[in-house]
Amino acid sequence: MSLLRVCSRQLFWKNPAVEPLFTGCLRAASRAVNDKEPLKKAKTPKGRFDNLEETSKDVLEKFPDDVNPVTKEKGGPRGPEPTRYGDWERKGRCVDF
Amino acid sequence: MASVRAASRLLSKRVLSTAKAVPAAAVQGSRNFHFSIYGKKKNAKVSDDISTQYPVVDHEFDAVVVGAGGAGLRAAFGLSEAGFNTACVTKLFPTRSHTVAAQGGINAALGNMEEDDWRWHFYDTVKGSDWLGDQDAIHYMTEQAPAAVVELENFGMPFSRTEEGKIYQRAFGGQSLKYGKGGQAHRCCCVADRTGHSLLHTLYGRSLRYDTSYFVEYFALDLLMENGECKGVIALCMEDGSIHRFRAQNTVIATGGYGRTYFSCTSAHTSTGDGNAMVTRAGLPCQDMEFVQFHPTGIYGAGCLITEGCRGEGGILINSEGERFMERYAPNAKDLASRDVVSRSMTIEIREGRGVGPEKDHVYLQLHHLPPQQLAARLPGISETAMIFAGVDVTKEPIPVLPTVHYNMGGIPTNYKGQVITYVNDEDKVVPGLYACGEAASASVHGANRLGANSLLDLVVFGRACALTIAEQHKPGEKLSPLKPSAGEESVANLDRLRFANGSQRTSEIRLNMQKTMQTHAAVFRTGSVLKEGCNKMDAIYQTLEDIKTFDRGIVWNTDLVESLELQNLLLNAVQTINSAEQRKESRGAHAREDYKERVDEYDYSKPLQGQEKKPYDQHWRKHTLSFVDQKTGKVTLEYRPVIDSSLDEQDCAHVPPAIRSY
Repeated sequence: MSLLRVCSRQLFWKNPAVEPLFTGCLRAASRAVNDKEPLKKAKTPKGRFDNLEETSKDVLEKFPDDVNPVTKEKGGPRGPEPTRYGDWERKGRCVDF
Repeated sequence: MASVRAASRLLSKRVLSTAKAVPAAAVQGSRNFHFSIYGKKKNAKVSDDISTQYPVVDHEFDAVVVGAGGAGLRAAFGLSEAGFNTACVTKLFPTRSHTVAAQGGINAALGNMEEDDWRWHFYDTVKGSDWLGDQDAIHYMTEQAPAAVVELENFGMPFSRTEEGKIYQRAFGGQSLKYGKGGQAHRCCCVADRTGHSLLHTLYGRSLRYDTSYFVEYFALDLLMENGECKGVIALCMEDGSIHRFRAQNTVIATGGYGRTYFSCTSAHTSTGDGNAMVTRAGLPCQDMEFVQFHPTGIYGAGCLITEGCRGEGGILINSEGERFMERYAPNAKDLASRDVVSRSMTIEIREGRGVGPEKDHVYLQLHHLPPQQLAARLPGISETAMIFAGVDVTKEPIPVLPTVHYNMGGIPTNYKGQVITYVNDEDKVVPGLYACGEAASASVHGANRLGANSLLDLVVFGRACALTIAEQHKPGEKLSPLKPSAGEESVANLDRLRFANGSQRTSEIRLNMQKTMQTHAAVFRTGSVLKEGCNKMDAIYQTLEDIKTFDRGIVWNTDLVESLELQNLLLNAVQTINSAEQRKESRGAHAREDYKERVDEYDYSKPLQGQEKKPYDQHWRKHTLSFVDQKTGKVTLEYRPVIDSSLDEQDCAHVPPAIRSY
């Protein structure tokens, strides 16, 4: 049972996908910031949403302390006031009117 | 419930464990339906009463709730709290019900932002319903609203707060102060932007405290009616294909709306009006089915709604010729005209052949002429929404949109207590043993048009009302009235017929035909000729049910069968909607006709009442439509029922006399 575990751990580290990650971390730590080499990816087709991982920040920002500075509402909806156009809007979608 | 769970666990264990010694029956490969119920035999018995091919498991409860959305959960645990042995039969897991998509808020006259009174909320709701709402039910709902919201908050629902810690209320949904004369009221309470999700999870969590038996993924087939009394429900367990009969003194229907009768709707694929259809098959009427709430700009194919703010910020609607067609229909307001004008204009353009796309059945909403920074600043997130749901880059291409169904005001008629009523001898008569709440019911608080943020309130108030009424009139552990042993055999016969159906039209084809017909003929643009043509087409489509073809002959998790059952339910709802719309010769609230543009009441309220003669009941339209369907032929008969104009307590809250509805 433990032998299995040891073998699988070895296999894990020898895995080509993991090695560059590990070495990549070391490289980033040792070299200057501007030398960011892209991690080697397998040659799979790129989907429409594949590039969005870098900019996955939500468009609607959280308020500091979750308190809306204008209306002083705690725990309210993020971003601009949802009812500003007469219906309940979020990210361009109307959910109630 | 535990015994049934044990039984299905046992069954699955028998199928999976091949290494150990297995009884001969399981090894055959075909399932043995005669599973034994271990443990408490009192509640569930297997019987051959209906058919030897389909053994039936009989359960006995004090109350059974069909549907586990906002209203169903509230009713279920309200009943458990009162000590009733309750079963909750639902075709979806409770937190997957469509309530979870309601992101708006709940209206309640708590008075946290300014001086507020529930009577002003009452006035706003009556006016919003275009005086088709039953004022006693509206009185009940608006009076109970503050208590209901406080109760939800005590259950743990994390409403957003003001600085002092009270619930924050915002202006939404046509609410005013001082009976319309005091300006905008702030009554809408919300939980960030996921009120419905939070409500459902709070109610589900709360309901686990009580010992409600949940029967999840059980598709309710029909009501068990005997002598005009409802004695329970018969359901199909989708997991293993067994039939279950739930006998109960009280049945509560909370199955939601029927948005899926239309091609473009915001509802989930599971909003198929099962409760309305069950009630129709039991010979009872459905009320006000023609009132369906539309929104002009819903994304084609996806069904999400694009906010009116897009048009407010400068977005324009384009037809196939690239023309800004709103200039012709509303020369002054153009794209900022009211929702019904925009919806109708879009539909007229599509009808006249200037629609876009391969089937020319929608129009475009163009935003790429606006500077992208302005779009990102004013409408953050819209590019994400457009990309995800429409697959377009909003800064380069227009978004395909068409008028979309959002809510069904019609449903099962109830009184303000939640009891289902029928109209006999010019009087409302209660159907014993049957209750309804939520979007499936029409206690008629929304009347001809629903105000925003009122439907979540409707769910909790009437869910609780059903539980209270049952607790008031019955005791837990009451002896059940006798039921014919073969009750429910027509439902099982129908199930069997559908399971082995071998016609020529697939379920999906019939469903698409129905949805396209309803979208073309019974949508926003309604005229006599269009509706009549639609009625004939729907009639023909209803007949094609005989010719249906299903492919899956199994009984375990047969989604083909369940979709066909749902299609039968959808068709019953659709024929009632289009026939009621064809008969109602006026425009009121969400039902707007081109050939009868005015509201026809007993008096003409635009002029002073002095000297006016009251129109007789059969000549005016301020009445509820009650529709019956003959299940075999699909023929719809319509009757009418007067609107209840008096509130519950005239001293406390006077009723609102009808007037012209203008904002």
